[in-house]
This record gives sequence, C-alpha cells and structure tokens, in this order.
Amino acid sequence: MAITRRDLITTIARSGATGAVAVTLGTTPLHADTETIPVPSTAVGLLYDATICIGCKACVAACAEANGEVPDTRGDSLHQSPTDLNDLTRNIIKLYKPTDGSPASYVKRQCMHCLDPACAAGCPFQALHKDPESGIVYWTADKCIGCRYCTITCPYHVPRFQWQGYNPRVTKCELCSHRLEKGLKPGCTSVCPTGAVIYGPRTVLLIEARRRIRENPGRYYKDKVYGETDNGGTQSLYLARVPFDDLGLPELGEESVPAKTLRWQRRLYQYFVLPGLLYAGLVQVIRTSLKGHEEEAHAREKETGLRAQL
Amino acid sequence: MSAITTNQFKTDARSDNRWERAVPVYGVPVVTHFFLLLVALTLVALMLTGYRELAGLGPVSGMNDAFGWGIWKTFNVMVLTALGSGAFAVGIAAWVFRRKRLHALMRMALLTSFLAYASGLLLLGIDAGRPWNFYWIVFPWKWNMHSPLAEVAICMSIYAMIPLAVENLPPVLERLWYFDSRLRPGVERMEKRLHSVFPYVIALAYLLPGMHQSSLGALMLLAGERVHPLWQTPLLPLLYVGAATFMSFGCVAGTTMLCCLMWKRAMDMEVLDEAARITCWLIYGWSALRIVDIAFREQFGTAFHFDRFAGVFWLEMAMIVGGGVLLQRSLRTHDRGKMFLGYIVSSLGGMVYRFSPTTLAFRPNPQALYFPATIEILVSLGFIALGVAGFLVAVKRFAILPGPLYLWHDMASYFRFRRPYIRWTGYFKYGHFGEDEDVATHSN
Repeated sequence: MAITRRDLITTIARSGATGAVAVTLGTTPLHADTETIPVPSTAVGLLYDATICIGCKACVAACAEANGEVPDTRGDSLHQSPTDLNDLTRNIIKLYKPTDGSPASYVKRQCMHCLDPACAAGCPFQALHKDPESGIVYWTADKCIGCRYCTITCPYHVPRFQWQGYNPRVTKCELCSHRLEKGLKPGCTSVCPTGAVIYGPRTVLLIEARRRIRENPGRYYKDKVYGETDNGGTQSLYLARVPFDDLGLPELGEESVPAKTLRWQRRLYQYFVLPGLLYAGLVQVIRTSLKGHEEEAHAREKETGLRAQL
Repeated sequence: MSAITTNQFKTDARSDNRWERAVPVYGVPVVTHFFLLLVALTLVALMLTGYRELAGLGPVSGMNDAFGWGIWKTFNVMVLTALGSGAFAVGIAAWVFRRKRLHALMRMALLTSFLAYASGLLLLGIDAGRPWNFYWIVFPWKWNMHSPLAEVAICMSIYAMIPLAVENLPPVLERLWYFDSRLRPGVERMEKRLHSVFPYVIALAYLLPGMHQSSLGALMLLAGERVHPLWQTPLLPLLYVGAATFMSFGCVAGTTMLCCLMWKRAMDMEVLDEAARITCWLIYGWSALRIVDIAFREQFGTAFHFDRFAGVFWLEMAMIVGGGVLLQRSLRTHDRGKMFLGYIVSSLGGMVYRFSPTTLAFRPNPQALYFPATIEILVSLGFIALGVAGFLVAVKRFAILPGPLYLWHDMASYFRFRRPYIRWTGYFKYGHFGEDEDVATHSN
C-alpha cells in the first residue's frame, strides 16, 4: 500500500493550512461582536419595587384577564391561587419569608425580557424572538415545535409549557403587547394599587430606580437595580430589600448566559468555515483510503472467487 | 452441519478464523418468540403514541415544569445515539486513520447507527409538543443558526436520512445482485455511481455526527448553574463526542461478540483486539481529559461531598475506567469474557455519563423530582424494541455480520441442499459461489 501516515498528515495539513489562516483572521473581529449586546432602540420594560409591594395579587388576576386566560383555580377549585408560573399564569406574586426573622419580601415573577435572551438563543426555529424595537421577547405559535428547550435554558425559569392537550402552547409574559398597541399599559401595572410595578421605557425606568435608591439610602439591597447589567441586562428591573438570589433572581454576572456559554460554539460554526474545511480535508483522505480499499477488495475477489464486499 | 463437506474449496480454511466476509445469519427463523415480543412492544408503543398525541405530554409522562425533558429525549436520543455512533467512531478509525482490520466491523457499525438514529429521531418527533411545525426544517433561513438544538435536530435528520442511509445501501444492493441475475447490470451500474459519490458521502457522515454529537453536549451549556459543576464545563461538547466514541466502539464490538456467541460464529481476535485497544485508549484519554478539566475548574472538592452527585460521578468514572482496565487486561490474556465485560461496563458507564447532565445531575430551581411514568417507559422501550427487531431482520436477511470465508461456503451449501425450495434467498439460486458459478455462466 502506498498510503502512509505521513501522506495522511500532509494531505490534511495541505488542505487545512490556508483555511486555518482564514479562520483565525476571520474570527478575531467576530469575537468582539458577540461581546456587545445591542440595546433595542425603544426598549420598554417593567420596574418592580419589592419594598412597595403589598402582595395583594391584583396583578395576577389582571394579567390573566388581560391575556384572556381563564383564572387558574386548579388549586382548590375556588380561588385563583396558582403556586407558581404555569400554562395559565404569566405573572405571579410570591412571598419570601425566612424563618430566622430577617426581612421578608414579596417578589413578582414574570418574563425578564433579557437583552440577550437565552430562550431565544436556544430556540431552534426562532419561535421565541426578541423584537428589535421594543425588545419584547415574543413566542410565535407557528414556529414552535414544542421542544421545551426554553424551559431548560431560561435562567429565570419563566417559559412554561402546557402539558395537557394536543395543541400545547408555551406561556410567558409578552408585556401585554396587544394592550400596548391600543395605547394601554400592561395588565399588571394598570391595577397595582401602590405603584410597586410600573411600565415605561427602560432608560426612564433606570433613572427612576436610581432616584429611589438615591432618596432612600439603606433601603435597597446593595443599592442595586437587578437587571441593569445582570445577565447582560434585562428589561424587567427589580429593586428589593433582601438579596435577589433569595427571590429567585440568581447572580449571573454581567455577561449574558448565551454569550458566556455559546461563545465557542458560535465561533466554530461562524459561516461554516471550519466545518467546510474539515469536510474538504476528510474527502481528500477518504478518497485515498477508498482507492486502496477497493484495490485490496478486488485483489481478494480474484483470490477467493467471491464477489467483493465493499 | 454435515452438508458443508460437500462444498469444495481450494485450501482447508476451516482453522482460519479471520473475518473476511460479511455473511447473513442463515438457518434460523426471523420470526421467533423474542421477535414477536419485540413486535408486540413496538405495537403497544405505537398505540400509546396515538394516545399521547391526543392527550398531550402531561398525562403520559413524568415531565413537569422543572424537568422539561424526559427519558424520550435524555435516554432514547442523548444516550442511545451515542451508542449508535459506531458509523462515526469506527468509521473514522477505519477510513481516516486506516485501521484496515476494522473494515470487518463497518457493516455492523453502519446498521446499529442507522437503527439507533432512526428510532431516536422517530421518538424525537413524538416528544415534540408541536411536531407539525417541523416543516420549518426545509427553510434554512428560518433556522436559528446558533441554537445547539437546531443544530442537533437539523443535522441529525440530515445525517440519518442521507449519508447514513447511503452508507447502508451496499448490503441491500448486494442482496439484489444475488437475488436475480437479471438485476445484476442495473445493480452494478448503481454500485458504480454509489462508489463515485462515496468519498463525499462518507466525509459527510463523519462531519455531521461530529457536529451534532458535540451539540448534544452544548445543549446543556445554556442550562448553566442548574447542571452540577462536576458535569457543567465548557468542554461538555468535546466530552460528549468522546463518550460517544468509546461507547459506540463498545456497542459495535460488543454486539458483534454477542451475535457470534448467539449464532456460533468464529471470532476474529485480531479485529476484536484492535477494537479493544482503540477503545481502551479512548477511555483513558477521555477519563484523563475529564479529570483534568474538573481539577482545572477547581471543582474536585464537590466529588467528595456525600450526596447523589458525588455518587453518580464515582459510579460512572468507576464503570468507565474499570471497563477500560478490563479491556486492557483482555488484550494481554486474550480473554473474550473479560473483553465483553469490559465493553459492557464501559458503555454502561458512558450511558450514565450521557444521561447525567440532563437528569441525574440536573438541579432545577425550584426543587423538583422527575421519574418517568409507565406509559413513558413503555413508549421508550417500544422504540428500542423497534430498533432491535430491525437489527434481527437485517442480520438474517442481509450480509452484515462478519464471518470467516468458509462460512460463506457453508451458507451456500446450506441453502443448496437444505432449503432448495427457497428461491428468494438468491444466494444459492443464481448465486456466485466461485467454481460452481463458472458452470452456470458457461452454460448460458
């Protein structure tokens, strides 16, 4: 056989060398691209101040009503008392009450509308996508294959899958976009009696949050607005007295989850350069192997008188 | 098997155990009690699938908001396609690294891969909540190019439907060639065409699994903290491919050994030793990479906590490394039992590893538990049964399992003298049996 390992290596090297240079040069600027997350031009969002919230759950009922959902009375067949976000509940008020007597707090949970949403990054056919103008993360029924990857990827555990029925949906807050179109506010903000949750452009909400922190020193945990930079920034912003981690808002760092975890994945598959090169190299090598293999098989065919099996 | 002596061939090759030729399993019925059991399991699964399509996923499975993925994805797809990566791992060893002896195992590898992927993909379609929207797959501009799941779904379907199916064609064409001499010119033309595209197809058959097996690992990267740090690593894609390589070697070689035991075939220890050697070094390399990665991320301390994660970690490492050691020992002593056990243990360890990040080491917030429901398990089993049944039919009707040269002649005699009325096996009727063939061709 004329094929040696050296031939093999040189073939791979020959076909790969030029490409490797191209990839290295090509990916350096791409690296910079993935680091900066664009903020939508007219990003809107919610500001929830847990220190003002009285836990009346008016927003929970209003949310279901605004979205045309039947009240979730599955708990006791009487009261609308969902225990968590679910297929009928896009918005919920929870109570964090530590046993050691340290401060308790309510928390309102709904979609965070991340600037770089992990759900949309994982969604195979872009059923979950971020509106480039409003920044609202929408779910499109026509594109969703029901893989439930969004329920795995969302660091806030927000999208919920409908487990019953032949035509399941993914339920998550879409900031009542149908109400926004009519010039109304989202359901939850329109009924809040204390103004614990307000709606507005993200920039305005950030200024308001900063103002509250400035005017009430010592009131807020670490004087921090959760969502300003967390997970690459979110459009739902939070103020609270207790650690955010206890409220189900994990410390994720300033880099968004997709940017943090899929950096290499994204770079390797950029424009399919690397897979393409690998393919070309493989074809070269296999072509040579196949020739040798066929020759051997035919020699064997002559020897044994049995038809070659390739 | 007294009839074999009537078949003459030049040298006494009966002592020669080299696997020279793929020979169908002959002289045993396809429809056995076990086969009927498999068919029954498959039918039950199909009926339950109908119920699932109407009732939704909740009533048939243990999946919940915290564990969005159940065993259909995490076991039948993530674990079993790793076992079915033989066409990828054994193929690369044979075609790219030119371990020529491994060509004897290639047909087994291709068949097991095809069946594992086909049954996995079918179940993936059933697991999807809104499968009718899969049609987006034909519009590349609608794909989310950066989604690992899109990569898996698209790449896996293309792989199973094009390169893997094409690679599995030669045994089928060969069967047609022997079936009827009138088909031969057409078959030969097709084979020629097939061979001209083979390099491109085979190369694609290595590129695509490399991509989607790694993307299966990348799936869990986005889950971040929820996967225990012993598993969650930026190297997860690489470790997933690595596990697939040694597991699929175990699956291909182990299945072949099992078949040889079951149907009393000679084992070619040269081929099996070669496979065991490669597997054992793959296992050592993989284990070293995993340990170094955990140490590098300074997470080794968590392996000594007294919890289920540490338990699962040590269980899988013990099984994988233990299997590797058994394989290495078997190389020295040529002990088949040890080798078989080594394959089984290391593959089982690999299966646990591939299962862990999505299920055993997945820590949803809030705390929740997942255990598959009965219907879920039955459907999962049914689709495995479909694959096994397909395998049994294929090895009995096509030349898949490798055997020594004399086995081919044995088969020819068997059909000529024991089953002369079965015309459709063709291996004997218009068959190509060396010397006898000359008689047939001269008479035309």
